[in-house]
Amino acid sequence: MRKFSKGDDEAEINMTPMLDIVFIMLIFFIVTASFLRESGLEIFKPEPNPAPPPPPPAPEDKPILFKIDNSSRVLYALRTIDVGSARAIIEREHAARPHVPVIIAAEKDGHMGLVVQIYDMAVQAKVSPTNIIVTEAK
Amino acid sequence: MRDHATKEEENEINMTPMLDIVFIMLIFFIVTAVFVKEAGVTIFKPNAETATLQGQASIMIAITDTNEIHINRQQVDITAVRTNVELLHAENPRGTVVIQADRNASSGVWMKVFDEVRKAGVPKIATATET
Repeated sequence: MRKFSKGDDEAEINMTPMLDIVFIMLIFFIVTASFLRESGLEIFKPEPNPAPPPPPPAPEDKPILFKIDNSSRVLYALRTIDVGSARAIIEREHAARPHVPVIIAAEKDGHMGLVVQIYDMAVQAKVSPTNIIVTEAK
Repeated sequence: MRDHATKEEENEINMTPMLDIVFIMLIFFIVTAVFVKEAGVTIFKPNAETATLQGQASIMIAITDTNEIHINRQQVDITAVRTNVELLHAENPRGTVVIQADRNASSGVWMKVFDEVRKAGVPKIATATET
């Protein structure tokens, strides 16, 4: 019996090359693992629609529209406003008419930072993300 | 002499637990590997408090403050965005796209890039922010 087990011992497979490969693979995957955690907003932008625009909505259904012009001024209801006051406007309007969308219309050269800032404010004011629309100003 | 040799053999460290750990680590790193295609430029991202973590993000598209578009460490033209994204997306179909727009980048460029990425067939597109 003793002799048998000894013979078994000698017939053991040499694991060293496999372990070398496993270690090299381990090091490779550790090195290439990216613990990059990017955070972001999923901004909703409707697809470009070539159809003519729908007729203007009734006054009570008018969207909360912010316009960002080419020199990065924020306009609301034809007046230039400070971007900080947009939060209060969204909260007030959203409380009064919860179903109307918030539209951020940006002209070509308007800064992206402002768009994201207003979008963020709208989300903070509990507007549903599908009701916030980023679009190009005409 | 013979006796000494057997004694040494018995004193050998048992490697099995260590190997178990190594294998588990190996499997962990293989499973979590995503191979992110970074844009390769530094971007001053806009601040946002409501941003969510984009765990599956694998393609980064950067728009610099001078409105240059960078994908996979190369500057590309807006017309080449779609082909580039299609190629990278085919490599990792589960991955999503993150557009890293500088806070001073033009929103018009962001919109063009967004449309091109959508045409490339990526269902989830996020815009990177600083939290």
